[in-house]
Amino acid sequence: MNGPLTVEGLGKVYPGFSLGPLGFALEPGKITGFIGRNGAGKTTTLHAVVGFLRPDSGTVRFWGQALEGHEALLRQRVGFVSAGMRFYQRQSLKRITDTLRPFYTRWDEGAYRRCLRRFALDEGKTPEKLSNGMQLKYLLSLALSHGAELLLLDEPTSGLDPVSRAEVLETLLTLRDAGCTVLFSTHITSDLEKTADRILYLSRGELKADCTLDDFTDAWRLYHGTADAVAALPPELVHGRRRSREGLSALLRRADADALGLPCESAGLEDVMVHLEQEADEHEA
Amino acid sequence: MKRKLLRKELRLSRHPAALLMPWLSALCLVPNYPYPVMYFYLTLGVFFICMSGRENNDVGFTLTLPVTRRDLVAARFGFVMLLEGFQLLLACGFVALRALLFADRGSNAAGMDANLALIGEGFLFYAAFHLVFFPSYYRDVTKVGLSFVKSSVVLALLLVAEIVACYAVPFWRDTLDRPDPELFPAKLLFLGLCVLCYALATVAALRVSQRRFARLDLR
Repeated sequence: MNGPLTVEGLGKVYPGFSLGPLGFALEPGKITGFIGRNGAGKTTTLHAVVGFLRPDSGTVRFWGQALEGHEALLRQRVGFVSAGMRFYQRQSLKRITDTLRPFYTRWDEGAYRRCLRRFALDEGKTPEKLSNGMQLKYLLSLALSHGAELLLLDEPTSGLDPVSRAEVLETLLTLRDAGCTVLFSTHITSDLEKTADRILYLSRGELKADCTLDDFTDAWRLYHGTADAVAALPPELVHGRRRSREGLSALLRRADADALGLPCESAGLEDVMVHLEQEADEHEA
Repeated sequence: MKRKLLRKELRLSRHPAALLMPWLSALCLVPNYPYPVMYFYLTLGVFFICMSGRENNDVGFTLTLPVTRRDLVAARFGFVMLLEGFQLLLACGFVALRALLFADRGSNAAGMDANLALIGEGFLFYAAFHLVFFPSYYRDVTKVGLSFVKSSVVLALLLVAEIVACYAVPFWRDTLDRPDPELFPAKLLFLGLCVLCYALATVAALRVSQRRFARLDLR
């Protein structure tokens, strides 16, 4: 109950979209990847968690405390970065940092300077003169410099070049090793395969999986075959099919694949996600 | 925390035009001009601040800081009140300067003379602005324009009423709309009442705004 983040029965209803009710808890000192296709509700969930949105139902607790009534204190311990977040386009980074630094009781100037060097950020520049990726790096630098124990990151690697992505991922792993808990949503599943300990998989506003990355991928197998061979599989055992080089690929539960004795290969995070989404699309159609 | 937020308002949320608006108190030196218009210009400056805040995601970004929603609203009120106070101080100076330079120019044909009662009216105009603009703005911070239109309509009606009152309402015509230092005690009493109205309206507007902002979903 007193983990860094516990979400219970979180729900939010919009015209045409309904989130939840969701329930999950983050394990301390672990990196949890938050996956799901566009519109699945990842950003809505994160916004509800950080208090941008007021959920229609449910509770969000940080270390056992609700945000309401403890906002200022809890936000000292939580860092939130969103890839699309705009901020003070015509103010220099130096001015922004000088203004924000006093808000944090555990500001680490050394860590901030290291981030600036690592990300090659020029404090004299304004956000409007920076690319989206560089703006994101600046936001990450702020989040990594105030001693946050929990980092909530909404697509923190989108828009970054491969080298910068690798640097961010490396930083996250270092923070995890230091005891920091991280929840990050992304479409770049390879980033999660490199870093995530656990996976939250959200589809159409519902949480479909909350487990370790290994459990998530080990539970599935990918079968590649001709269209006829895939069509011959028992339909109830096939969880989504996609076109592939050989013809079609089909996702099966590991136990089912073993029972059928099919020559399957391990499924990656992206394989599982795209096939399950395909299955959901077919059901909806 | 409120002090840090106020500092953030001054350093990051300010808009250059908004900082110039208080200086339009110099309009007091223009003969036959509806002087309360200068108070409207300040509200235009507040509109610029909120509009540029929307473009810069000021509210969303500030909410990632260790602050409460209540303090965020209070800091914006504090910032606007600082601007208003600065404008009124400048207005006092320009009213005094006008009395020195143009004492022989006679009464203002377009409403209230530049005198102590005009300063009191400033508090009334600001009170009305607070009551209309902020509760509307904090219901949905993305609809800055709509909130400003509402407050502008109210201020325009107040301005017309003020000009009419200077001709038709005996207390306004015979007591307030007189050059200083004539009937100074009465004007001082009027100023005190206006300050009281301003304080009550601001507290009410602040509470309603905080309540509405507490329920607001940021998009």
